[in-house]
Amino acid sequence: MPDMSERGLRITGLRASVEGNEILKGIDIEVQPGSVHALMGPNGSGKSTLAFSVAGHPSYDVSAGTVTLDGEDLLGLAPDKRAKAGLFLSFQYPAAIPGVSVANFIRTARQSVRPDDLPPAKFRAMIFEKLDALDMDSAFLSRYVNDGFSGGEKKRLEMLQLAMLAPKYAILDETDSGLDVDALRAVGDSLRALRESDAGKDAGYLIITHYPRILQHITADHVHIMLDGRIVKSGGPELANEIERDGYDKIREQVAASVA
Amino acid sequence: MSPSPEAIVPGIGRAALDALLERFGEGSIAAAARYDALARYEEMPARVTVRGARGWKHDLAKLDLSGVPAFSIAGVQLSLESLSVEARNKGVTIEHFSHARERHGAAFGRAFGKAVDSRDDKFASLALAFANEGVFIEIPAGVSLDEPLLIGYEARDAALFPYTLVAAGAASRATIIERIATIEGAPLVCGVVELVLGDNAVLHYAVEQRASDATRLIMTRRATVGKDAALAVAFAELGGMHAVSRFRAVEAASGARVETVALFFSDRTQHVDIETETIHAAGHTQSETIVRSAGTDTGQGRYLGNIKILAAAHGADASLRDDALLLSEGSHIDSVPALEIAANDVKAFHGATVGAISEEELFYAQSRGIAREDAERMIALGFFEPAVSRFPTDALRAEIRAALERKLRSKAA
Repeated sequence: MPDMSERGLRITGLRASVEGNEILKGIDIEVQPGSVHALMGPNGSGKSTLAFSVAGHPSYDVSAGTVTLDGEDLLGLAPDKRAKAGLFLSFQYPAAIPGVSVANFIRTARQSVRPDDLPPAKFRAMIFEKLDALDMDSAFLSRYVNDGFSGGEKKRLEMLQLAMLAPKYAILDETDSGLDVDALRAVGDSLRALRESDAGKDAGYLIITHYPRILQHITADHVHIMLDGRIVKSGGPELANEIERDGYDKIREQVAASVA
Repeated sequence: MSPSPEAIVPGIGRAALDALLERFGEGSIAAAARYDALARYEEMPARVTVRGARGWKHDLAKLDLSGVPAFSIAGVQLSLESLSVEARNKGVTIEHFSHARERHGAAFGRAFGKAVDSRDDKFASLALAFANEGVFIEIPAGVSLDEPLLIGYEARDAALFPYTLVAAGAASRATIIERIATIEGAPLVCGVVELVLGDNAVLHYAVEQRASDATRLIMTRRATVGKDAALAVAFAELGGMHAVSRFRAVEAASGARVETVALFFSDRTQHVDIETETIHAAGHTQSETIVRSAGTDTGQGRYLGNIKILAAAHGADASLRDDALLLSEGSHIDSVPALEIAANDVKAFHGATVGAISEEELFYAQSRGIAREDAERMIALGFFEPAVSRFPTDALRAEIRAALERKLRSKAA
């Protein structure tokens, strides 16, 4: 039984490898309901590996540590069960599913994570409202999932799914990468609207990003810096500004100095 | 054990043909032509289109039809559900094949044998010899039909030899949907479809084959397409123990267009053998071929897709896309696209893939809460969609999706 006194998405001592190479070397992050954490780090630091390991991608082997969602152990669950427990992953590179329409995909997903909670008419009203908030045309719904989508369209579709599934905890993997200014604003607005909605105000977010720019649209309460598979520094929103100003090299030097 | 009382002769051969002629007369195909066709059937070798699959168990060259009840009276039914008011008012002919020559001699004579050469295939010859059911449809020049014409063939306890002859007059426009079903015990459906399109005609011809798993089907389908005419054919080969479908379209005059769509899903021990061929015989002809297939359990499939661009076909434009999805270790699909080009200034594309469902697609769907088996089913149905979406009418598309989904569910069970 999940222990509700252990609320939060709790990642403890997580070590994970891909094809025998250890990428995550002991990660601890605790995302509380209603909070926003940013995980920043240069390319190759292991940020996406963390996202995939928590979501249960079959190519990632977790060798140590625990991940719990409001007290429920996630690591023993299939990816769909993790989603049903309340986890959502916004993909950096979402897969295309030709022949499956966006509308059908989202309806099936919503029905899976929240069975029978929305009659079809309300589902339609809701999806049109969310589309509008994301500056998306309703013709989007009849296109095949991510098939032939531009980078911006893919990220908008991730945000549409996030809004429609309203998870307890969401990991956003490089949602800002590859977006032009308008797309970034639409994604930021959508996130802010979700944060202000009844369905989203108690959700916790882990925002993985290379650049701090998405944090202009959604304020992080906590910022973590990841280097070489470890969290090397955690702090408040000011840490993001530090990265903006100095880049990752300075932190790398600090870490090297402290180890030496 | 005696055959069903309605089956006149137990075994396909000369005695059965004698009995058929005695009982029904020659119908639309002269007795001499039937005997010729039977002789050709007996002497021609069976063609094997694609070789190599280890699991393939049905060999047409070793097919023994000596025990097959050749034909029966009540065992075969043809329904022409929709000689609609519209079709009547516009002068469309829909005639049972056996009366077509006698009642529509001139129109029948202009179309019959135009697209089919019985010398080109052993089983086309067999179908011609015994043709005991069928329909002749003539859409007069300039007539445009909004409602689809529906043809249904159903075989119960004997072989069915259907002949569908369609003459689409100049600048006519129509959609024809043919459904083939058999009930347990129907051993063989061996038929011919002949589509003859006049200049500027537009014809959409779709087949939904839902035979029982006791039935072997061998269909020869041929089309000839006139100047600036457009033919779209779509075949859903869903049923049968062993289904063979051979389609050839000849773009006989400039500006002709042909779209060929085929789908099949071999489950359990089903064998499906599809061949499509488009011959570009004139300039500025176009063709597009889309084939989607899947296999599960120990289902077997083979597809041969030919595009021939003859020397006269300047400016021809052909594409062929063939994708196969394997859902089990024991299933197998061989796919051979073939291009033969004798003209210079042409565009031709072909591509083929055989593979399993991608883990990345599965993980993506699962990460949204969709259980793995549901995700597999959804992705597999989506895989067929580029073919399904080319079939005419919402009702037919829905039937095909439902049939595919049933196969996917029984696979999961």
